[in-house]
Parts: sequence; C-alpha cells; structure tokens
Amino acid sequence: LKCTEKYVYYLSFQSKSDIISTVEFNHTGELLATGDKGGRVVIFQREQESKNQVHRRGEYNVYSTFQSHEPEFDYLKSLEIEEKINKIRWLPQQNAAYFLLSTNDKTVKLWKVSERDKRPEGYNLKDEEGRLRDPATITTLRVPVLRPMDLMVEATPRRVFANAHTYHINSISVNSDYETYMSADDLRINLWNFEITNQSFNIVDIKPANMEELTEVITAAEFHPHHCNTFVYSSSKGTIRLCDMRASALCDRHTKFFEEPEDPSNRSFFSEIISSISDVKFSHSGRYIMTRDYLTVKVWDLNMENRPIETYQVHDYLRSKLCSLYENDCIFDKFECVWNGSDSVIMTGSYNNFFRMFDRNTKRDVTLEASRENSKPRAILKPRKVCVGGKRRKDEISVDSLDFSKKILHTAWHPSENIIAVAATNNLYIFQDKVN
Amino acid sequence: MEFKLEAHRIVSISLGKIYNSRVQRGGIKLHKNLLVSLVLRSARQVYLSDPCPGLYLAGPAGIPAPPPQQQPGEPAAGPPAGWGEPPPPVARASWPETEPQPERPSVSHAPRVGDEVPVTTVTGVGDVLQGREADATEAAWSRVERPRQAAAGEAEGPAGGWGVFPEGSLAARRPCGCPLGGEDPPGTPAATPRTACCCAPRPAEDEPPAPPAVCPRKRGAAGVGGGPAGCPAPGSTPLKKPRRNLEQPPSGGEDDDAEEMETGNVANLISIFGSSFSGLLRKSPGGGREEEEGEESGPEAAEPGQICCDKPVLRDMNPWSTAIVAF
Repeated sequence: LKCTEKYVYYLSFQSKSDIISTVEFNHTGELLATGDKGGRVVIFQREQESKNQVHRRGEYNVYSTFQSHEPEFDYLKSLEIEEKINKIRWLPQQNAAYFLLSTNDKTVKLWKVSERDKRPEGYNLKDEEGRLRDPATITTLRVPVLRPMDLMVEATPRRVFANAHTYHINSISVNSDYETYMSADDLRINLWNFEITNQSFNIVDIKPANMEELTEVITAAEFHPHHCNTFVYSSSKGTIRLCDMRASALCDRHTKFFEEPEDPSNRSFFSEIISSISDVKFSHSGRYIMTRDYLTVKVWDLNMENRPIETYQVHDYLRSKLCSLYENDCIFDKFECVWNGSDSVIMTGSYNNFFRMFDRNTKRDVTLEASRENSKPRAILKPRKVCVGGKRRKDEISVDSLDFSKKILHTAWHPSENIIAVAATNNLYIFQDKVN
Repeated sequence: MEFKLEAHRIVSISLGKIYNSRVQRGGIKLHKNLLVSLVLRSARQVYLSDPCPGLYLAGPAGIPAPPPQQQPGEPAAGPPAGWGEPPPPVARASWPETEPQPERPSVSHAPRVGDEVPVTTVTGVGDVLQGREADATEAAWSRVERPRQAAAGEAEGPAGGWGVFPEGSLAARRPCGCPLGGEDPPGTPAATPRTACCCAPRPAEDEPPAPPAVCPRKRGAAGVGGGPAGCPAPGSTPLKKPRRNLEQPPSGGEDDDAEEMETGNVANLISIFGSSFSGLLRKSPGGGREEEEGEESGPEAAEPGQICCDKPVLRDMNPWSTAIVAF
C-alpha cells in the first residue's frame, strides 16, 4: 500500500445529535460501525462496486441503526449508568448474519445484524395484515410461501453480559478462538464465553486490598490477533503487561512488562497524566504493539520490554500548555490509535480536527484535517501544519488558534485498503486514497 | 515562590475537579480521579516544600508576615505555559520528604514516581506535621474524624455519605484567557466573580491565605480552641467564621469576595477530600477497610466510614489549617 498522503475527501455523515464515541470496521471492511453517546449504533455498508464504473470505489451508506444501550440507574449505589457506547468490536462473519459486541460502562451486548428480504405470505390463520381470521371462514388449506420484500436490516440483541463489572468498562476484545472475549474495566479483566451470559472468569485483578493504596488503573486491553492465550493491557502509569492465560488462572503476574524509563528532564506536575496510556493495539502481524499516551504514539516490539522501538510525537507543541489543558480537562482526553492493514502506517487523532499519520518505513508524517469547510468532495486533502513559534506561514495555524473542542479521538482503518474513518465530534468522515 | 502559588492554584483546580466528578453523570471516574489526585499530591508537595520563610510566620489572627517576594505588579511575562516546563529545583523536592527545608532542597535525584509515592509522601508530610505541631494537629485531626463518623447518618450525596455543600462555592477557578481561549472547564461552576488568570497578577490575591496554611499549630491554637465547643451539632450554621477570619489580613490589591469564596471552597472541599483514595489523608491506618464487592462504586464509597466533616466543626477551624491537615 502506498504512502497515504493523498487522501480524497469522500463522504461525511453528520449525526444531528450525538457525539461519536467509537468507530470500527469489520474484518472485511465491508461494514463500518459507529457508536455514540446516546447509546445508538449506526452501521454503514460499502456498496458493491459497479462494473460500469470500475474507477469509482464503493461508497458507504447507512445500513442499520439501532439503540444498543439505554441509560440505567443503579438504585443501590445511586449511580446513573451512561448509555454511551465505549467500544464496538466485530466478530468474524461465519454465516449470513453479522455479529458485533457493543459495550457501555457496565454491560456488554452481542448484537446480530441480519437481512430480511423475503417474507412469508399466505398464512391460513391470519390475514395479510396479520389479524386473526375467524376459523369458521377458513375453508381451504394452503402452504405459506416466501415472497420478496424490500430489504430490511434488523438488529437483535442475542446476548447480554451484565453485572460483572464494578468499575467502568474501557475495552472489549474478541479472542482469535472466536469463542471467548474479554472485557476490561479500571481494575479487572473478565473473560467471557459468547454462549454464557451468567458467568465470567476474572483473569486480571489489580484492585489493592486497601483502595487508599491505589496507584494505577487498567486503561486498555486487547487479545493477541493469533495467539488465543495471549493478551496485553495498558495502565495509567504508562506500562504494558503481556499475559499468558496458560501460565495461571489469574493473570495478575505478567509474562512481559513493557515500560520506558521516564525522562527526568521532562518532569512536571502533569508527567503522570501524560504518561497514562489511552489505547493499546496489536499490529496485524502480532509482532508489535502500539500505545498512545497524551503526546506520543509508541511502537513496541514484543521481544523488547525496556523501551519502544519507535516513538512519534503527535503534538509536542502542547507540552508547554499542559497546565491549561489540565484546567480545561483536555489533558484527560483519550486518543485512540490504529494500524493500517500492512502495519506500515499508523494513525491517531489530535485537536482542531487534525489527525496524524506516520509512515513507519519512510519516517514521513502528515497532518490532515477533517472538516467540511476545508475539503470539497473528491478534493485531495491538504496537509496541515501547526506553527510552533516564530513567523507563521500563510497556511499554518498557530498553536494558540487551535480549537481544543474539536478533537479526533476515534479513527479506524480499513483492514486491507486505504480507507479511513475519522470521527470528529458528531461527524463521521470517510476518506480514501486517490484512484487515478 | 511563584511555584508555590502555582502549586496552590493547581491544588484548588484539582479539588474542584474532584468535587465536580461527584456530580458527573455516570458516576465517579476512577481513572480521572486517580490522575487528579496524583497532580494534587505533586502540587501539595511543592506547596509544602517551597522555601519562603516569610510565609510561614503567620500570626494566629491570620495576619501574615509581609511576604518578601510579593510583587503585585509583577508583569505577566512569565509564561503561563511555563507549567509544562520542568519545575525548578524547589519543586523537585524528593518524594519521600521528611521535612520541608528552609533552604532549597537540592536536585540530587530525579523524583521517582513509583509505587511508594502515595504512602511515603503522606508519611513524610505526616511526620512533618507530627514533628512540628503534633498535638494541635492531632487534636484537630481527630476532631475532624470524629464528627465525620457522627455525621455518617446525615445527608447522603450521590456518592454516598458526602454531605451537603454550599452550592456554587466549589469552583475550580475559571481558566485564564490564555492560551486556550478561556473556555470554562465542563462542570465548573462559573460563580467566581473574578477572572482567575494563571498570569502573574494573581499573586497579590493569593498571598494572605497561603501563610497560615503551613503553620497549623499557630492558627490551630486560635481556631481549634473553639473546637470542643464546636463539636458537631447537626449543622445549620454556614461557614461564616472562617471567612471572616480571612478578611482581616491586609493585602494589596486583594479581591475579598474571591478570596472568601476560595477559602470556603477549600474548607468544604476537604470534606470531599477526606474520603479520597491514595492515602492522601492517611494519618492512621484505620480508615481503609475491606469493602464488599457490593459496595464498590469508586473510591469514595470504598470508605463509607469516613464521612465528610460536619460544617459546624469546620467553622471553628481555620480553613487553611484544615486544608493542610487534610492534605
């Protein structure tokens, strides 16, 4: 896949109400799911490429919309449980239906999304509107037949995995065995079997006996893409632990521990906050993990624990603004990061609706902006640049002009093609590279 | 000096965040509160260790010794963005600090942010307090704790047992207009009448309350003296007395209203802070008990025994001594 500097502004969906809180392609890239703060899931489907217009790539259209989670109230603790969808993860497709997991702070649900394009007609006991017929009027017997109908996509909740998390769920990850998955909250990770909803197996528990001694929490967790016994979880202290479920039932003791020594010259009041890892992702190959903290993205080799092999500065110009960012809570923003299909390019978001891509091979990077004002449909995205001091050039934007309310926290990359989905507040942008 | 003020400001902001987190939808976010508490600890450390002897000489009446370095007209040249830069040597007091040194602590080693920080730091500060104002502090402290337990049955806030606070007084300060456009942080009550700015002109306002804070014994003798009598009567008395105390100290260019509110902030925020995790208030190990699974809903609910201090008791304690004792 070629370097990704030429992205064509493609298509944008604007949701009138809610902020998008998660974005995820399925394993083929045919479907793209988004979850929002209002608990809704919207699934886009790529239309089939028409044979007439080979040069025109398939566009994504809304395929299904459903309410996944509703706000709840825990009366025992007097706590409201937000309906915001924290994560969506697809299961690999095994039949005609699609399955995905969606989770809010407390409950994971397995949804089945299936198509219905036929309906039975000719019932004996019911009329065409479904009203019961008077049995006395039935004089003949017929076999109902299936007739075509307008395509209907329905989503049904097939499993609800509830009451297993005391703290807020931040991650879910489907295992490569396709039989189990894990859910992680601030202090615990549970292993589930898809078929069993009334029990889960606790595999990580970092809750101290005395909560006063709490020093770190789990921030993200993911299964290895190929080894069903291996998973990683990241912490608020900037560390990553790799665990092997074969070693023991409770994986409190890690197999590997990834941590980079702190740079003492960068010490500040906010050092701990900015070292907290907000996302961890295995590469598709399973050889590397990528972590995102507030200012950087790091790539780690699983075979080297003492430091990352690559570090990319996302927006280092914010380092001198940490106090202000602490005040307005931006320092707590949890940015995600993604690999492209070949693990050669990584992408993550920033402020002002900027997002960044880093090519690991050429070491080139680019800053792009997701905004309608700056992009006409089918136009090539122009690289952006933040001016950090001195004379500002014409197309540059100064650090002080950045809009910190426009943050790109969630992005997704098509598993095999250069198509990216970028969530900018309540807008979804889909970009793909230019086809000549 | 400036870093002490900035540390103080960060402390206020952090306390405001902890307070606001209680009323946020979705319950208390453990991760965010943990991070805020870490910042709070760092700021407190700087605040306590900043070597400004003049500031420590507060009299019981609350009149501070004139702080030698106070420059109300100090230009705002110091970049507010300087926060992200490494703090000066004074701020890098080693984490397991046993005593605040009157001279600048040396930058002998990089502070290690490790597991021992919470416990060690608290112990360190606790030792300090023990050494310097043992009796009064202990007495004040135990007085705070007893009414907490007595008040256990009282007003239950959303997080369980937090008690009632005057509305609108717990603001983190409004962020300054520089450099990020001056947006109010979400959830921050915009009740503060003045525009708190992280630029330098603020020091004039902050000076007076700072001095008494580090000398609890002297303040405490006066403030806590009324303690026994002020033991909790289930409270309707608002926090008027502490505010009046702090109106007295003269200070150039001071905004009385804002300062008043700020004091009230801290006095009230202590109650929230009282049940925070990470050993920030750990004087005796008695508070951290095992909780059942069913009770867990975050750090505050994990210690239901430590309910907020009742207002009448707080009224009789100098709020700054309360703050420092709490920290």
